[in-house]
Amino acid sequence: MNLSQDRTEICLKNIRMRFQMKSGDPINVFDGLDLEVYKGEFISFLGPSGCGKTTLLRLIADILQPTEGIVTVGGISAAEARKQHKYGIVFQKPVLYDWRTVAKNVALPMEMMKIPKKEQEEKVTEMLQLVNLEGYENSYPFELSGGMQQRVGIARALSLDSEILLMDEPFSALDEFTKMKLHEDLLRIWEATGKTIVFVTHNISEAVYLSDRVCVFTANPARLAGIVDIGLKRPRNEDMLISSSYLAYMGEIRHIFEAGYEKD
Amino acid sequence: MKRIDGRHLSLILWIVGFFLMWEFAAFLLDGVLHDPMAAKKLPYFHAVISETVLNADNILLQSALTALRAAEGFLIGALVGFLLALLMDLFGVVERMALPYLLASQMIPILGLAPIIFGLVKDLDMSRVTIAAYMTFFPVSLSLLSGFKSVDIEQRMLMRSYASSKFLYYRKLALPYSVPFLFNGLKIAAPMAMTASAFVDTLSTQNGIGSIIIVALYGGGTTGQFWPAVLAASLLGIVSYVLVILAERVVERFIPRAPKEAAGEAA
Ligand SMILES: Nc1ncnc2c1ncn2[C@@H]1O[C@H](COP(=O)(O)OP(=O)(O)O)[C@@H](O)[C@H]1O
Ligand SMILES: [Mg+2]
Repeated sequence: MNLSQDRTEICLKNIRMRFQMKSGDPINVFDGLDLEVYKGEFISFLGPSGCGKTTLLRLIADILQPTEGIVTVGGISAAEARKQHKYGIVFQKPVLYDWRTVAKNVALPMEMMKIPKKEQEEKVTEMLQLVNLEGYENSYPFELSGGMQQRVGIARALSLDSEILLMDEPFSALDEFTKMKLHEDLLRIWEATGKTIVFVTHNISEAVYLSDRVCVFTANPARLAGIVDIGLKRPRNEDMLISSSYLAYMGEIRHIFEAGYEKD
Repeated sequence: MKRIDGRHLSLILWIVGFFLMWEFAAFLLDGVLHDPMAAKKLPYFHAVISETVLNADNILLQSALTALRAAEGFLIGALVGFLLALLMDLFGVVERMALPYLLASQMIPILGLAPIIFGLVKDLDMSRVTIAAYMTFFPVSLSLLSGFKSVDIEQRMLMRSYASSKFLYYRKLALPYSVPFLFNGLKIAAPMAMTASAFVDTLSTQNGIGSIIIVALYGGGTTGQFWPAVLAASLLGIVSYVLVILAERVVERFIPRAPKEAAGEAA
């Protein structure tokens, strides 16, 4: 019926999250947060450390459950979506298994789902091509640079062809040059696969450069301060980083941060 | 390559050094202090060796007796330790209930426990196996449990994101990750199992490398075999340790580990 409903991939309704601290007092993250993520969009969660970005991503992944509120993913509950492998996840660290080769790491989710060996091998080849790691099939993670390891993590997250890709500050530990290269790769993959990407970052410039929409969070208390539509045309390129509209978006986001804190 | 050579060299130096120190100490006792009992208190190393060669048949036979039972007990203990660690990791209740008992079990001195077991089962071989297993299960289960517990939280989350079953969680993540921990436990346990088995020998003077020691000490007669037997018993411990290390090398070919110095060598 409703057009915007059909477009919704992830829906968070009235989310409250309470963490019981060891010291005694519980802390509350989000105070009735509402958010919709649309099918096929590239959306970023942007905010300082401690504002709840990771928590939010884990709620979507059903790694955490909200104290209050409802999370649906692809029209079903987050728990059900996890069981149906609706998403792939990438962490800040590569989180690879040291004792597995690159190919075996990428194949891990397929092994878990008992996909036939032959199919796995084809998929691994395809994925390694996608992240520019052909020829490293039989290397071990510790033989690769940090950027290459992160690529393996991305290939692994993509290998099940889930509609959604969840990424928690995937590039924040990398140097600027590697990061720029991976930005290009990620956008290329996104455009080629039409996935919905939820991208967590604390880097304003990175969020603007990659995203269709940027959700701006403030910490203490953790809450969503505003959402900015990024109208930069696609495909994005590095020249845009000095365009006036790019700088205007950066300014707008900074403004939302400051306004968010002044309210307290 | 260089490092391997260095290791071999230091091993040879260590052996030669050990030999020289022994000979020197024996010389002090015999040639400098002129102790009339020197040949009994601390004979020359070369004398011990020639005595060993003379009694090689008996020493080997008795060592094998002790070692085989120790090995059986070691395998049983390792299996029990493995299952215990798995149960404790799976069920917090089991861990809370079992851990105090496990700790308490290790407070009982083997000196007292071995005669009790021997009195109960009345069979020397069974006692050896039981005591060796008893010494083995504890370090194995604690090491493995600490491996299971130190699995990285994000590695676990990854498994959760795949809606992994418990079985696949252990098979794909927790077990391969914990292999080095398991081997640490086995390395501690192997010489202990040998010593334990040899200790059971001393309870009866029938057979086993430990019985040679005790007979030589208190029974008179075959005094000459005391030092060779002590030497053989120590060697059993060392050999068992080396065997575990070799087994670990084999397993590492299938489940490789990140070398600790990988980061340094890349730089
Ligand atoms: N397991 C937890 N136990 C207690 N507090 C937590 C836990 N996880 C997160 N928090 C708290 O929730 C807040 C948000 O954390 P997080 O989502 O990690 O923020 P971000 O990823 O934006 O840095 C922080 O104040 C943090 O201390
Ligand atoms: Mg975070």
